Amino acid sequence: MLSAMTFEISQGAAAPRTPCLGDDAVRVRGLRKAYGEHVALDGVDLTVARGEVLALLGPNGAGKTTLVEILEGHRRADAGAVSVLGFDPARRERGFRERIGVVLQETGLDQEIRVREALELYGAAYPQRRDVDEVLGLVGLEERGEAKARELSGGQRRRLDLALGIIGDPELVFLDEPTTGFDPAARRQSWELIDGLRELGKTILLTTHYMDEAQHLADRVVVLARGTVIANDTPDKLGREATVVSFRVVPGITLPAGARVERGIATFTSSAPTRDLAPLLGWAAAHDVELEGLSVGRPTLEDVYLELTA
Amino acid sequence: MIALTQQWVTTRMRLTLRNPRALVFTFAFPLILIVLFSALNGNAEVDAYGEKIRFAQFYTPAIAIFSLVAACYTSLILGISTARDQGLFKRVRATPLPMGIYLGSWVTGAMLTGIGAVVLLFVVSVPAFGVDIYARTLPAALLTLVLGAACLSSLGVAVSSLVKNAEQAMPVAQLTFLPISFISGIWFPLDGAPDWLVKVSHFFPLSHIVNAFGSCFVPGTSGSQLHGSDLLAIAIWTAVGLFVAVRRFRFEP
Repeated sequence: MLSAMTFEISQGAAAPRTPCLGDDAVRVRGLRKAYGEHVALDGVDLTVARGEVLALLGPNGAGKTTLVEILEGHRRADAGAVSVLGFDPARRERGFRERIGVVLQETGLDQEIRVREALELYGAAYPQRRDVDEVLGLVGLEERGEAKARELSGGQRRRLDLALGIIGDPELVFLDEPTTGFDPAARRQSWELIDGLRELGKTILLTTHYMDEAQHLADRVVVLARGTVIANDTPDKLGREATVVSFRVVPGITLPAGARVERGIATFTSSAPTRDLAPLLGWAAAHDVELEGLSVGRPTLEDVYLELTA
Repeated sequence: MIALTQQWVTTRMRLTLRNPRALVFTFAFPLILIVLFSALNGNAEVDAYGEKIRFAQFYTPAIAIFSLVAACYTSLILGISTARDQGLFKRVRATPLPMGIYLGSWVTGAMLTGIGAVVLLFVVSVPAFGVDIYARTLPAALLTLVLGAACLSSLGVAVSSLVKNAEQAMPVAQLTFLPISFISGIWFPLDGAPDWLVKVSHFFPLSHIVNAFGSCFVPGTSGSQLHGSDLLAIAIWTAVGLFVAVRRFRFEP
């Protein structure tokens, strides 16, 4: 109810299929959702531009699933303004469902249904569906059209899920951990596929646990922790003004404050690496000690993420 | 909209027919029962519906209703709760397919499968065991079949909304069906049963479906055999099932 009241952009079910209000595919302001005592989302703001690929990162329990499920129309927000493609998802209007594609993890499918049959069946309800053969080719299942769902390998099943998510030619695609459980080759394939979707001009909101995936696919990364957005930037810029220094610890050396030691390797993050390195190098030179494995570099997205969510 | 409904119903039925479990319980098992029972009992007579009836003449419609229960009630409970556990409803809910068409395809698919199984039983029993069908009572029999299928499906959807998961579905379906089937005239006629038992059986819909359907195959009767009170009871239970289904249906486990 509340979300409907605070809904910013109203558009009737019969509204024409035109881009509405600006270029934002998703606009969320002050979103809150609690399950009893537990606050899952505590004032989340999020904007996804049309054509953008946005990766939503965060530890388990950070509120990712709740946020995505509100955007998909599966759950209602307690408070805040939500607009997805100009619709209030909580109203679950048919016009809204016609324009989104949802690829959830572990969504069921009749075990006995054939691949082509599933695409024809699930595609039938969309007004602007893609050609079944084209979609089969897009996800690399052209050889498996007559196979039953239960005969597919895990990776093929996920590709069928993806095919079902795009059969209706959606403007916005939700991908929930699209490559979890994939072997490296299958993951590469999926990335190419998602890159293909980007080239079709789709807006993509994906959740993932893999930093390399976010790095590779996303135009922008949003990190969610304890129900709030704690970072929002391009993967290259995110927290990267810092520098990471690491080397093998030698006895007697004084480590700077905040350094971690793991299996004999000291690591610290610094915004002034020259200043912080000077005493270490001075000490090493004075004692004629070589700092083994010394490296000075930009943090990986993973470093940043771990730092942020620690 | 009609084409969409048709596509979903036909695919739903095709999927049901590809499922070996449903095939066994709905088609094969009742056929085996009829063949075995008829072979065992030959031309014995049974006291049923206040008459003496040849064995196959009594058992074919009774086992037909067993088939109808397997297709519309048991299979639907198991099918819907499994689909829900596996996230099928959640998947469909995110697509433009109206939920009514989706659920309707389950129910219509179950009803058509059940009615098809009943017809198949008669196709075998009429030539093989000399079961008689009467044109005079055929309209009442068909009406009972359709209303009975609707009633069992509505209760099937209702029960599937109440069970926690697919694991619970099978025992719940069997435990609600089997005991009631014994007092509803499927396995043996209710003629000669104690009064209180008959009263208990009349509370449940199954005895009404069996009675309204079976009466149509009693030789030597007159009239259309349209049993208004049985059909009313069936309609009331259909409404009860719908009420529970609408109030309690959930899309996620």
